[in-house]
Amino acid sequence: MSQPHVMPSLEGEKLTLDEVGPRILIGGSILGVVGFAAAIAIGVGRNDHLASLGWSYLLNFAYFLSLSLGALFFVAVGHLTRATWNVVSRRIGEVVAVNLVLMAVMAIPLMLMASRVFPWASGLTHAPEELLEHKRPFLNLPFFYLRWVVYFAIWAGYAVWFWRQSVAQDRSGDPRITMRMESRAGLSLLLFALSVNFASFDLLMSLDPTWFSTIFGPYYFAAGVVGFFSLLTLLTFFLQSQGRLTRAIHVEHYHDYGKLMFAFVFFWAYLAFSQYMLIWYANIPEETAWLLRREENGWGWIGLVLVFGHFLVPFAGLLSRFTKRLRATLFLWALWILVMHWIDLYWVVMPEIRPLDPGLDSLDLLCFLGFAGFYAAALSRWAGAHSLLPERDPRLQDALAFENA
Amino acid sequence: MSSPDLRPPIDPLDNTSDDPTQPTTLVLGGHDFTSVTDTVASIAENPNPPRAWYIAFAVTASMTAMLFAMIAYLIVTGVGVWGLNNPVGWGWAIVNFVFWVGIGHAGTLISAILFLLRQRWRTSINRFAEAMTIFAVICAGIFPAIHVGRIWVVWWLFPIPNYQLVWPNFRSPLLWDVFAVGTYMTVSLLFWYTGMVPDLATLRDRAQTKTRAIIFGILALGWRGSHRHWHRYEKAYLILAGLATPLVLSVHSVVSFDFAVAQLPGWHTTIFPPYFVAGAIFSGFSMVGTLLVPARKWFGLKEFITLHHLENMNKIILATGSMVGFAYATEFFIAWYGGNPAESFAFVNRAFGPYAWAYWIMVSCNVIAPQFFWSKRVRTNTVAMWILYIFVNIGMWFERFVITVTSLSRDFLPSSWGYYSPTIVDILTFVGSFGLFFMLVLLFIRFLPMLAMAEVKTVMPVAHVSGESKPIGDYHGDIHILPKAPKEAT
Repeated sequence: MSQPHVMPSLEGEKLTLDEVGPRILIGGSILGVVGFAAAIAIGVGRNDHLASLGWSYLLNFAYFLSLSLGALFFVAVGHLTRATWNVVSRRIGEVVAVNLVLMAVMAIPLMLMASRVFPWASGLTHAPEELLEHKRPFLNLPFFYLRWVVYFAIWAGYAVWFWRQSVAQDRSGDPRITMRMESRAGLSLLLFALSVNFASFDLLMSLDPTWFSTIFGPYYFAAGVVGFFSLLTLLTFFLQSQGRLTRAIHVEHYHDYGKLMFAFVFFWAYLAFSQYMLIWYANIPEETAWLLRREENGWGWIGLVLVFGHFLVPFAGLLSRFTKRLRATLFLWALWILVMHWIDLYWVVMPEIRPLDPGLDSLDLLCFLGFAGFYAAALSRWAGAHSLLPERDPRLQDALAFENA
Repeated sequence: MSSPDLRPPIDPLDNTSDDPTQPTTLVLGGHDFTSVTDTVASIAENPNPPRAWYIAFAVTASMTAMLFAMIAYLIVTGVGVWGLNNPVGWGWAIVNFVFWVGIGHAGTLISAILFLLRQRWRTSINRFAEAMTIFAVICAGIFPAIHVGRIWVVWWLFPIPNYQLVWPNFRSPLLWDVFAVGTYMTVSLLFWYTGMVPDLATLRDRAQTKTRAIIFGILALGWRGSHRHWHRYEKAYLILAGLATPLVLSVHSVVSFDFAVAQLPGWHTTIFPPYFVAGAIFSGFSMVGTLLVPARKWFGLKEFITLHHLENMNKIILATGSMVGFAYATEFFIAWYGGNPAESFAFVNRAFGPYAWAYWIMVSCNVIAPQFFWSKRVRTNTVAMWILYIFVNIGMWFERFVITVTSLSRDFLPSSWGYYSPTIVDILTFVGSFGLFFMLVLLFIRFLPMLAMAEVKTVMPVAHVSGESKPIGDYHGDIHILPKAPKEAT
């Protein structure tokens, strides 16, 4: 059995980014600019009115958006359930969630390219005209833009609000701030559920305007939460490698990260299976077409990569307590799952664009680098001068001393 | 939203303060270990239960007798005694099955998932909820068995070839149901029993009669409370919790497949599995609440099943009820968005067709009623919450009725439409199943400890080295630290 736990002391613990911040900010910005500059150069050279660029942009936008949405869920659900253990890593979650502000800005190019990117707007679809006409009250550009304004108002609004409240508590130590955040968490999650649901329809499902699946919103949500917990693990590693939060976050918290990664890998697979099995079983042509496209022309191999790589292999790998408590293995699984999450979205997006060619496009990777660079830069910007720990949260002491039996 | 309030509560039995600086006390009334055992065990040891118990038992036993009389009548006469017709070939039997299975979800959620999530408040309610789960699954299991018509060949459901060497259809969700519900029943029963072993030993040790000593002695499996016993017990408990957690999801997912694999509009939609699971938890918690609110009063357990426990349950009901509402809305939207006229007709027909009354009962009870739980005053008022539980119980039965009957009664072919009404046999069979359920609950209260004494003790202030009621880590884990010397203050 483990030794009786001794409360880690935060004396002398480095709690701010300081000199690390500007380095990430500059490095990330350079990576972002270079990535997008190269992507634009290639995209313009394609002579397809930026359609290829738009699709690669969309894929990576959906990817990074899902991570920040996962973070917002982590913060809000922690407040809703009055969680204790996650207080030590909540600030990291808050900062990742505040990146929804960045994603709101990054949504602008996507909106500008929307008339090329979305088949229902560009007309580049085999969908029958009557069907598109039927969906026009929902799938039209003005309403689409309006919806995205509302989504980001909800997401960025809540993310910034939670973050500001939490940072304000660092100064005042007022427990009423905790109570305020807890009392608003319920409504925030209700709005979160509705907005993420419709956003997933808009962003991903409408790429095939004939297809529909009621479970699609939860599917995108679960994928994002898996991705976020993996990202949280990597960010914690990174901060600790830089000498930050070295004692505040310890193996007990890593263990919980691992449990949550495991749980949501399983939950994702449950939703993916439910969607696939029900469509396969009922065998209704307007639904199966979407899956058929993902089984033919080599796409089936990517589906198998997901079955094994996004479910069975990490399921087996994360099952044991040992791997969740060993930093090296947990790090590898986090990295693995983040890659799989990207492949998952690739499998959702790209068969609609390149049904005959499952191969990677250089634009996909360049856009990824561009997003990753700006995403990291913005993270360091928000983390900036504030503490990386909610220092005066009333539950901090319990979170520090927390132990998995 | 109410403004945060830091004042301590005045009522000594009100532990619902949201103040994060104060630990929540889960056992009130200054109990120590002995008084917990005395209070809980004495209910199951009382040789002369109150007259009300006998009256209630007589009523529910009569209802159970009626249930079996109805089943006998059904078997002797045939399924024609039910209101089934063409096109509605699936009526109350399947509705009642799904209703009872759904109710059977709360216990395992509380005992398994809340355990893995370190929700210490579960200790006061888990035993009761698990018992209720098992009784609900027993009630549920009756209906598919009797609805097959020729009950003497019901064994064809099992994965063995019949006398003509024909295997059951493994692609049929009805067969998956047999596996899913069977597994769930087995694991729930094991979980319930494993958790009860230390308490059964307590009852054995306190036994005043030879018979009790022998019976509880056998049931307690030689439990002596040694360190090694506890160690194995907690390992087993954790493993069972891990095994039971996916089962909480799988059972009602498989039940939803009964509908969702079909092509029938209103049945075939991909959100069914998680939506059914949320609905099951919703209905299960409401049934637990329906029974617990009066039980804590009648048996003097208000200090254990506190307002804090009930408030937490009400929050879960609000959350799962909102998920159910979310699913209704998504289904409705996609029914339009999908552009399939049969699908959109099915939903318009639900809301405005001949069964609109049932649909609006469902929406009012399942979506609107739980919204009152946004208010803390409602969440902590036992009368108000009990009324809302009743609404939810009604609403969740109607949900299954709406799904099953509206879709079947008006499918693709208008010439084959029909209207379904239950017969008196349908109604009495369903009423009888409540009799069976409540009779089993009464027997449980009479003979077994309705609170997990050993587990409740782990979350009491006296169980913690620091003397606080906020433990460090898992509550089971704290026991390991207990015999050690107190740590220095940090």
